[in-house]
Amino acid sequence: MLPAALVGRLRGIVGGDGVIDRADSLVVYECDGYTLERAAPDVVVLPRTPAEVAAVLRCLADARVPFVPRGAGTGLAGGTLPVGAPVMVCTSRLQRIEAIDVANRRLVAQAGVVNLWVTNAVRAHGLHYAPDPSSQPACTIGGNVAENSGGPHTLKYGVTTNHVLGVELVLPSGDVVRLGGAVEDRPGYDLTGLVVGSEGTFGVVTRAVLRLVRTPEATRTLLAVFDSVEAASEAVSGVIAAGIVPAALELMDRIIIAAVEAAYGVGLPTDAGAVLLIELDGPAVGLDPQVERVRGVCGAHRAREIRVARDERERAALWRARKRAFGAVGRLAPNYCTQDGVVPRTRVPDILRRIAAAAERHRLRIGNVFHAGDGNIHPILLFDERDADEVRRVLAAGREILEACVEMGGSLTGEHGIGVEKIGQMPLLFGPDDLRAMVALRHVFDPDERANPHKVFPDAKVCVETRAPRRQAAP
Amino acid sequence: MSWAALVGADFVRRGSTGDAVDGVVPEWVVRPGTAGEVRACVHAVAAQERSLVASGRGAHLDRGAPPSSCFVLLRLDRMDAVLDHQPGDMTVTVEAGCTLAALDGVLAPAGQWLPLDPPRPEATTVGGALAANLSGPLRASQGTARDLLLGVVVVGSDGALVRGGGRVVKNVAGYDLPKLHVGALGTLGVIVEATFRLRPRPPCERAVVLAGPAERAAAAGLAARDLAVPPCWLELAAPGVLDERAVLAVGYAGLAGEVAAGCDAASALAAAHGLAARVVDAGAALRGRLGAFGLDAAAVLRAATLPTGVAAVLDAAGGRPAVAHLANGVVRIACACDDLRGLVAALRPGLEATGGSLVVERAEPEAKRGVDPWGDVGPALALMRGVKAALDPSRTLAPGRFVGGI
Repeated sequence: MLPAALVGRLRGIVGGDGVIDRADSLVVYECDGYTLERAAPDVVVLPRTPAEVAAVLRCLADARVPFVPRGAGTGLAGGTLPVGAPVMVCTSRLQRIEAIDVANRRLVAQAGVVNLWVTNAVRAHGLHYAPDPSSQPACTIGGNVAENSGGPHTLKYGVTTNHVLGVELVLPSGDVVRLGGAVEDRPGYDLTGLVVGSEGTFGVVTRAVLRLVRTPEATRTLLAVFDSVEAASEAVSGVIAAGIVPAALELMDRIIIAAVEAAYGVGLPTDAGAVLLIELDGPAVGLDPQVERVRGVCGAHRAREIRVARDERERAALWRARKRAFGAVGRLAPNYCTQDGVVPRTRVPDILRRIAAAAERHRLRIGNVFHAGDGNIHPILLFDERDADEVRRVLAAGREILEACVEMGGSLTGEHGIGVEKIGQMPLLFGPDDLRAMVALRHVFDPDERANPHKVFPDAKVCVETRAPRRQAAP
Repeated sequence: MSWAALVGADFVRRGSTGDAVDGVVPEWVVRPGTAGEVRACVHAVAAQERSLVASGRGAHLDRGAPPSSCFVLLRLDRMDAVLDHQPGDMTVTVEAGCTLAALDGVLAPAGQWLPLDPPRPEATTVGGALAANLSGPLRASQGTARDLLLGVVVVGSDGALVRGGGRVVKNVAGYDLPKLHVGALGTLGVIVEATFRLRPRPPCERAVVLAGPAERAAAAGLAARDLAVPPCWLELAAPGVLDERAVLAVGYAGLAGEVAAGCDAASALAAAHGLAARVVDAGAALRGRLGAFGLDAAAVLRAATLPTGVAAVLDAAGGRPAVAHLANGVVRIACACDDLRGLVAALRPGLEATGGSLVVERAEPEAKRGVDPWGDVGPALALMRGVKAALDPSRTLAPGRFVGGI
């Protein structure tokens, strides 16, 4: 347990309501979106300003106490699971949008600003913030920066790192450093680019300078229905090969369609093998010819039906179905685990076959809803955590799927991060020299490894105490 | 040291003044043919506690500060293979010594391109473009090297081969090492291989050039970003650079219908701002000419500001030839060598005070003497020194070339 004097000092910084240390309140913080492993911190600290974050980290530095940064806790790889870090520093109360510069398309957000608030703040100016994770009504900019989050529309517009020009980082020492900024081409190493996606292992990001993009003049959203997931995934390759860059190109298979339809009833054909959600955007003048080309490609791949959303309401309904698919899965099983792997986009049909084979071999149900245009798969493994054997099979199947991704020339994670979940598999992707270089960089920012310890890098010190899933505290 | 034993006698020679890196003549010029040979060379240099500068074809070696020493100039021009072009995946993996022009020759038949357009593509290698973070007008819509680069393989100063990123278009496994090597001028590793995302090659490219008073042209340029057809590139120039009268060029690339609509919209925009407009059918050629701005000048400065600050920087250039990537806030100014110091002193403080920068992009070694080509990068310099110490503790790689003497 943390010394009472230290907790007192933290209270002194953030106020009485900014420190949580009662066991029943800490339960909320014992996992993020990755629920297979749980561990509560001793203390959660909720600073309200960047200055308070710096004061908290300086206090922890004096006491040499490790900490884990956390935004909204929507991460899917256990990046905010406290492992050997008694203090959790939550940035969710840093909620100010500090500056909006419409002419230069820049916005300065504090770390706790929710992703969707950014777009809401600038929509009237015809601008938006491009990275749009499915959790965008909840996830925060700070978390997005830590994980280099993606989303469906990153196919055309890029991920978080392409839209973050600068960050304010509180180092584990408590020192505050500003990296990058609103102006491009800053001389020196691209430390902003290094911090984005560093999964909280460099300290706590408190502010970010974001790039805003012009909202395209027109959008067409298509739903292409296929009898088989194979045909749908081949159509994905066909669209890319035709030289079309859709704004988004998402695939949902039969299991997901059924769940989404049961939950939201948007009229998806539940007897289909798979549907593709294809969005094209840009100047109105070029759009309809592109829609026709996409129709042609889908037709050539035996699409049995192609619907085009007739208005914004229909479009919104389709996207709601897609973005809430994870929530809908809750109807299918008590628990689920979302994997996040990447394959070269032409290998999507291959990886889907491997996923199906893994499901059969391990007697599991696995649904697929993912960013097909990027080759970024999200198999959803359904299970009941009370069934210990099934949990073991879920973990084994997940591992096999990721190994298959790497074998196909892909990656362990496209947008969720390594967290605790995939530490063991990092050596599949990176050799000792690669990992040594990364750890050397980590030590530049965090020489004592107090910022989010035991994450990202395989490390002999990681204990196995959290490896066995626990029952959920509440039903 | 027997370099011949490492790379073969045909690929080693004594350095001469023609090989100088910003005025510093290397003792040896060594041309490895494989990543393994690069490793052996780096290892050999490090073992002798000497230093090296990596180079492709030497087209951009006058960037940055002169190296504090240069025992070996490591030329990677022999490593010029396109290793793996996957048209269906829209990715390409290429050796660092391949020129952008040669790479384009492989991509074009597949209807694809790497939308990175620095000057002299026939002499600019992939490794050089990354190390110097070179860009051109296309960056307005296509981003810079950091946005296109998916993975790198570098040789570290200990001779180890280090991989960062990967070959797929989306990847957040581990730290984003590729970002760190972009623009690092070879001070953190010798880039030997890179993987890029590709984009469909636009079948049509045209531009509209606008003529009229500078103030109105700048306003029209900023407004062009909000047109229904967003420009592919957008260059604002001092008079005399584009032609006698025009000061703004709005480029469109894509399907013919889109390009035509864009040109119409830009022409209408010109009229609304009281500017004369002319359509240039050879859009790509005009873009190339603007990108190559300053190649014949004695020195080129590169100012970075916000897009709304560009007009003021152009104004401050005081009639010197200058051209800006308007949407990115990047202004290049050509000047004479004896003009350099005064201009840096006049422009840099104001730019740095507002979050911008002024670097000496290119100048003869004589002209750079007594001028910090990079300027003040602020408190982040301590971390940058730490990064250098972490990846090149022996200071084997291009010492002194980078910011703050890194």
